[in-house]
Amino acid sequence: MAFCNRTLLDCLDSLSFNNLFLSFLFFTTLLLASSNSSSYALSSDQADALLKWKATDLNNQSQSVLHSWKVVDDSNSTNSSMRSDPCISWIGIACNQRGSITQINLTSMGLQGMIKNFPFPSFPSLTHLNLFNNSLLGTVPSNIANLSVVNYLDLSVNQFSGSIPSEICLLTTLNILYLDHNHFSGSIPYNMGRLKDLTTLTMHSNNLSGFIPESLGNLTSLRQLSLYENNLIGSIPTSIGKLRDLYFLYLYQNQLSGPIPKEIGNMTQLRFLTLENNNLIGSIPQEIGNLKSLTDLYFLFNNLSGSIPVSLGNLKNLTILLLSKNQLSGRIPIEIGNLTSLSDLELTLNQLSGCIPSTLGNLKKLTNLNLLENQFSGSIPEEIGNLTNLANLQLGDNHFSGSLPQEIGNLTNLANLQLGDNHFSGSLPQEIGNLTNLANLQLGDNHFSGSLPQGLCTSRSLENFTAFNNHLTSLIPKGFKNCTSLFRVRLENNQLVANLSEDFGVYEKLNYIDLSNNQLYGELSSTWGQCQNLQTLHLAGNNITGKIPPELGMLIQLHVLDLSSNYLVGEIPIKEFGELTFLLNLNLSGNQLSSNLPLEVGRLYSLTYFDLSTTSLSGQIPKEIGNCSSLSYLDLSNNNLNGSIPYQIGNLVHLQLLLDLSQNRLSGEILSQFKSLVNLEKLNISHNQLSGTISSAFDEMASLTSIDISYNEFEGPISNNRVFQNATTIEALRNNKALCGNASGL
Amino acid sequence: MAGLAVQIRTLLLLMFLTSTSFTLTLTNANVEGDALYALRRALKDPGNVLQSWDPTLVNPCTWFHVTCDSQNRVTRLDLGNAKLSGKLVPELGRLERLQYLELYRNNLVGSIPKELEGLKSLVSLDFHHNNLTGSIPSSLFSLSNLRFLRLNRNRLTGRIPRQLTRLRNLKIIDVSNNDLCGTIPTSGSFYKFSEKSFENNPRLKGPELMGSVSYELGCD
Repeated sequence: MAFCNRTLLDCLDSLSFNNLFLSFLFFTTLLLASSNSSSYALSSDQADALLKWKATDLNNQSQSVLHSWKVVDDSNSTNSSMRSDPCISWIGIACNQRGSITQINLTSMGLQGMIKNFPFPSFPSLTHLNLFNNSLLGTVPSNIANLSVVNYLDLSVNQFSGSIPSEICLLTTLNILYLDHNHFSGSIPYNMGRLKDLTTLTMHSNNLSGFIPESLGNLTSLRQLSLYENNLIGSIPTSIGKLRDLYFLYLYQNQLSGPIPKEIGNMTQLRFLTLENNNLIGSIPQEIGNLKSLTDLYFLFNNLSGSIPVSLGNLKNLTILLLSKNQLSGRIPIEIGNLTSLSDLELTLNQLSGCIPSTLGNLKKLTNLNLLENQFSGSIPEEIGNLTNLANLQLGDNHFSGSLPQEIGNLTNLANLQLGDNHFSGSLPQEIGNLTNLANLQLGDNHFSGSLPQGLCTSRSLENFTAFNNHLTSLIPKGFKNCTSLFRVRLENNQLVANLSEDFGVYEKLNYIDLSNNQLYGELSSTWGQCQNLQTLHLAGNNITGKIPPELGMLIQLHVLDLSSNYLVGEIPIKEFGELTFLLNLNLSGNQLSSNLPLEVGRLYSLTYFDLSTTSLSGQIPKEIGNCSSLSYLDLSNNNLNGSIPYQIGNLVHLQLLLDLSQNRLSGEILSQFKSLVNLEKLNISHNQLSGTISSAFDEMASLTSIDISYNEFEGPISNNRVFQNATTIEALRNNKALCGNASGL
Repeated sequence: MAGLAVQIRTLLLLMFLTSTSFTLTLTNANVEGDALYALRRALKDPGNVLQSWDPTLVNPCTWFHVTCDSQNRVTRLDLGNAKLSGKLVPELGRLERLQYLELYRNNLVGSIPKELEGLKSLVSLDFHHNNLTGSIPSSLFSLSNLRFLRLNRNRLTGRIPRQLTRLRNLKIIDVSNNDLCGTIPTSGSFYKFSEKSFENNPRLKGPELMGSVSYELGCD
């Protein structure tokens, strides 16, 4: 550059052209230099800010996770003191061409600490901030609003708490906002609607309360709105109908109230509409029928009333319809038959009535049909046989009637058939034997008659079979004998005529069987001892003969054994029963056992209910009975027991409901036997040959409400126990030798 | 966060699983079975005594330790000496025909739910020998059929609610071996109870003195 010794103005003039180029060069260099140094300055400022945050707000473990975040890059040999460039060597960091950080991606790194001092203002170019799945806690600060160009913000699956800062509504460039699975509380910021470019908004699984803001209706680009699992209250705002592009609306599990707004019918792109587990009231708006794209509709567990709208039949894409646990009434509209994509239909626990429309048979894709606990009536239409994909059919607890259509045999995929507690009648169609996948068959509490279908359980898949309280008359031998899959069987209270020895096999999986009150005959074979899983065996009220097989003692899981009211004879194999450590209930009453009560009875220490009444028991009551310390009910009445009442009976301190020793030949005196029975409420020792005085025998039986000592040979003053003051006492005391005292009738 | 497609699929699965579990509970939405199952979930059961408590059954009447009447309503709950620990649940109050609630000799903690006032048919309430804390809910006075109230050997605090004297059918009360305070009611059905029912409550000041200044000061 030439020296200029003229005036400044002259200098400037001469600068004009020659030096313009040089000036241009100069300024360009200056510019380049400054951008280099400012890009260096930019990322170094940001680096410093991040390092400061890392050092002060994250814990020790997080330091090592982020060890690549450092000032000096010492990865080369010594003497190299190059400054570490975050854009190149720091984990989770991405930059733009100018060296400014655009993305911070720290997902699933186990970071623990806070972000309330995170240097948000240092990142004017940040577009992506992803902190998904860490253990970050504390509040989200309001200066998050400094992320002026952010479009992806993921804070989900952490432990953030406090309110969602309302400043988040200033991040108008946001497309994706994930805040779910934290401990956020307080309300959803009311100005949320300013985030006009949002396509995804998740706030589910937090502790949010308050109302759903009206302004959410302004988020016209929204595809997904998840607010489920919070404590939101109030109504669903009608503005929600403005979300014309919404695919997924998840509001379930809150405390939302008020009606379902009819404006929801405007959300024609909706696929999933899940409002279950709230307090919504009113009718299902018929506008729901406009949601042509809907696949899943869950309104269960609310307080909805009125009928199922006919327009629901327009939802051609609907696959799952759940309306259970509401107060819906009226009929199932016949238009339901138009829902040709439907796989699951659940209407349980409502007050629906009327018949099953035959059009239901058009739902070829239906796998699950559950109408339990309503007031449906009429018979099952034969068209039900067209539902060849049906796996689960539950019609229990309604007023259905008539006989089952034989077309039910076409439902070859049926695993679960639940028809209990209705007014079904007639014979069970033989075609039920064709249901090779049937695992659960529940027919109890109906008026079914005739025999069980021939082919039942040929495929050995039947596990639960209950048909109690019907008028069934016979089993089919093959069906039952080889049904080794059986787990739970309840056929009590029928008129089944079957041979216990021949028509039953060995069931290794059997856990519970009740065949009480039928007309079973034959003997109880020893093979029952092989049902290793058996916990309950009820055979009361039949015509079973023969002996009680000692092999029953091999049923180590047995809790309940009831063989009462049969024609069993012979010994009580109590010695073998001693292994039954879980036995709670043992009832053998009403048989002709003519046995002694063996001393091994003392090993039944879990026994709470013991009934050996009317079994022709003879001999003495063994003192070992005192070891059955869990006994709450003991009935040995109406036998031939002699000898005295052992004082060890007093050890049965949990005797509560009943101690009945009446109608025997017990003799001797009552001394201290009953002193400790402070819980016993009902005592019957009548019709024996007991003698002596009873003055203090019952004094300490503080729980006694009923007593009968009649037909003995007691004498002397009666007890002070208040139970003797009762009006019924004359019957309770009569026919003794010489009782006296303060009671009516004495 | 995973892409939208994966997210949809995950949510779909979640939906279906939620709906299936709803199906299971709704299959037999028996109020009493649900109440007992709520109790089961709140208890630790190392002895597996509640193993038969299957909520998918139509009612709880075939569950062990549960007794029902002819209308399949629960009348007895016999879980004494069963090694149970955990808390009582307010849902127990829904068992309107329950007559015997026997939970003695376990390791139950927490307080006695006031919702037990719903047990309108209750004859015997036996929680003796547990680790229960808090006070005896005064709402128990509405259990007009109650004959036996056994709460001895716990860590109950607070006063003996005066309202309990209105229980006309009460034959036996035992609140001994607790940490109750205030005075012992003597009116109504309480006139017949001896000191033995209240012994070993170090802060219990003895029978109330009618017409005198209340001894309630200092009792929490």
